Amino acid sequence: MIPEQPPDTPMPDALEMQLADARPRFEEAAAQEPAAQAPTGRIGQMQAQAAQALRPLTNTVWSKLDRKATAIAEFTLRQYRTKSSTWVVLGIGLMFVTMVMLFYAEAMATGFDSYDNDGDSEDWDGDGYPTGQERRYGTSPWNADDHPDPETVPPDPASVWINEDPLDFDGDFRNSNQGFDDDGDCTGEGWSDPNSPELPSRNDRNGDGHPCNVYYRMNSTTGMVYSVNGDPNVDEDPDESVFLKEALHRSFLLGFGKVGFTFLLGVFLPLFLATGLVRDEMERGTMHYLLGKPIARAEVLTYRLLGYVTLTWPYVTGLVIITAIVSGLLAPSDGFYRWQDLPLWLGVLVASWMVLLAYGAVFSVCGIISPKYGVFIAIGLGVWEFLMAMVSLADPTFPLTYLSISHWGIEIINCAALLAYPDFIWMIQVAEFHGFGADIALQVFWSPPSAVPGSALASMVVALFVLTLYTVFALFIGQAMFKRRELD
Amino acid sequence: MIPDMSQVGKPTDDAWAPVPEAPHVMLEGVTKVYGQVIGLNDVSLAVKGGVTGILGMNGAGKSTLFKLIVGRLKASQGTVRLFGTDPWKNPAPYARVGYVSESEQLYDWMTGLDFVTTLARLFGYTRDEAKERALHVLDFVGLADVVNKQIGKYSKGMRQRVKIAHALVNDPDLIILDEPLAGCDPLARTTVMNVVRELGAMGKTVLVSSHILNEIERITEQIIILHNGRLLALGNLHAIRELLDQHPHRILLRTDNPRKLGTAFLPHSDVYGVRFPKPDELVIETNNLSSVHKALPEICIASGVRVTAIENPDDNLESLLGYLMEGRS
Repeated sequence: MIPEQPPDTPMPDALEMQLADARPRFEEAAAQEPAAQAPTGRIGQMQAQAAQALRPLTNTVWSKLDRKATAIAEFTLRQYRTKSSTWVVLGIGLMFVTMVMLFYAEAMATGFDSYDNDGDSEDWDGDGYPTGQERRYGTSPWNADDHPDPETVPPDPASVWINEDPLDFDGDFRNSNQGFDDDGDCTGEGWSDPNSPELPSRNDRNGDGHPCNVYYRMNSTTGMVYSVNGDPNVDEDPDESVFLKEALHRSFLLGFGKVGFTFLLGVFLPLFLATGLVRDEMERGTMHYLLGKPIARAEVLTYRLLGYVTLTWPYVTGLVIITAIVSGLLAPSDGFYRWQDLPLWLGVLVASWMVLLAYGAVFSVCGIISPKYGVFIAIGLGVWEFLMAMVSLADPTFPLTYLSISHWGIEIINCAALLAYPDFIWMIQVAEFHGFGADIALQVFWSPPSAVPGSALASMVVALFVLTLYTVFALFIGQAMFKRRELD
Repeated sequence: MIPDMSQVGKPTDDAWAPVPEAPHVMLEGVTKVYGQVIGLNDVSLAVKGGVTGILGMNGAGKSTLFKLIVGRLKASQGTVRLFGTDPWKNPAPYARVGYVSESEQLYDWMTGLDFVTTLARLFGYTRDEAKERALHVLDFVGLADVVNKQIGKYSKGMRQRVKIAHALVNDPDLIILDEPLAGCDPLARTTVMNVVRELGAMGKTVLVSSHILNEIERITEQIIILHNGRLLALGNLHAIRELLDQHPHRILLRTDNPRKLGTAFLPHSDVYGVRFPKPDELVIETNNLSSVHKALPEICIASGVRVTAIENPDDNLESLLGYLMEGRS
């Protein structure tokens, strides 16, 4: 029978018979199928609609999706739990945050010294009265015999004349007329001789029509202050220690939020935790357990990513909360806790979530594109993102940075910072004006929103949209490649 | 284009809807090429109902055939149909398929129950449904006692059975078992064979592959023989066997007096030669295996020689393939 068949026979007899028998049945059934499903007439249509409407809730697409989605997400989470690499990566993240917080605590505890900018706390003639007080009472600071009557005016301690004219800003950027001469050494207010020759002869040196004020020039659309021009002896002796501490605190929030959370954790967590989401299963030869089910490969990829997010989002949220609590207690503030920082921390949190999601999607797709070299592609992307983050810190308007994920994460934090502290622009300009040096730290870690100049909220929405787009695009590429991948 | 998330157990196109009447598996002129190597060469077959054994040596294309059927691989040429639709493009028919791969890899950190339950949920069952079904199938394959033990601590036979359980959890119409007996100890082998036979008795379509003729013989009579990627034979094993019986065949007897026994066999009409490869061995050469086997006990008793073992050295897949190949060329 079979062995005797001529060698050119394509198939054995039994098979041909089976095929001949099967094919018409298959074709017939295929032809009949749509006809059988088509509703007959209007009543049939209505019946179909009613059946659709009365479908039990447990059978909706959502609940089906929910079963599969949670099954894979749960599975992914439990799989993470069994891997020591997960614990190492999470542990290192926690250590990193703890160490940075220790440095921060140290800096906050040390503090800065204040100094006398205008030199009026000095007693040049040695009569016990500081120069500022002698000027106010119209006596000579250079003559030891000329001083106010100690009976009626006792000498001030020198400290009174340090930090005696703080920066005055009402927070309204539309008001270019700011500043107040607290010690009266421009207006002569409170002086015994309002026309003393010690007072400046031209008290409207900035020429804005207001004597003894500080004139702010700003861009009317962006609200950016680009110059601060004060009249003589106005706001000339602020408290540097307070200003520097505030500037340092804000620089820390921004720097740690941007570099620490958004960039370092944002890149390293997904690099170790997301790259293998699909790749490891394919390499180990266990992918078919997940794929041999009535489930699209795009779904498997998405739900694996969901599992990754279920691990990393709560983790990074925990770290942000710890950092926010510790820094809020140590930071300069009027009360027990510095509540003003919360919007900024919220921004850091949202930025970290979005960046973790986007990098997670991109890196897991790297693993699909090349199971063998995916990690190296991911590391290469990490380096590119690092460069773009650095460029974006220096100049967020540089167009190439728009292509990077880190830029948009940083943008979210810039926006949140401006929403939390509208006086950022003022602080930077004032620091520059007074030459505190604090402006450098602030300028490195904060830039005005660049997506929609002038609107922090709109810029943040744009940044969130772009990061979402990145994620969706990565997933789209990933599922397209995954669908074409054979599982050997 | 939006990613095709809507494939939640549903075909993307009406044309892909599984066809109830279609043969469960149909291949027409299917060729699969891996680079320079041909894995499967112009194979056509249709299967519906019953237990079918896929026989072939290592590398004959058994696993490739299965991987094509379950959509793990894409055919280089020809059409593959699983319940009437293309398994590479459409995951919907997987809802009716249970597939046990040859891969030894499992999630060792999971318990047997977790493993089966988790994967059952991918069919869209709720957590409770999935657990109930998992317990049921684990009981069916005889793992009820160890459902809460980690798979990493399972024996090889238990691992094989948990894989089978996972493939049965959706109550499939078609079950594909790739080398389910590989590496099993005799006890596990019997259990797995019983499970397969039982599935066949339940009216399921079962495809089971092996490279050992005896194993398949104990499970089913309906076989497909693959060799070097080609479909060599398809049909009833007994028909093929009978055919083989008429070919030159050898029977090996181990005895303390081979010469005396050999002389006793020579008068038999179907015996055309005897040889003595070792001092305690006798090889009988015959053209009709069954008639010699029938006469064998009588001759042995009559000669009064003690026989310690009877073996059929030709009764294996290599010789079967050799004969079939001879017939073709």
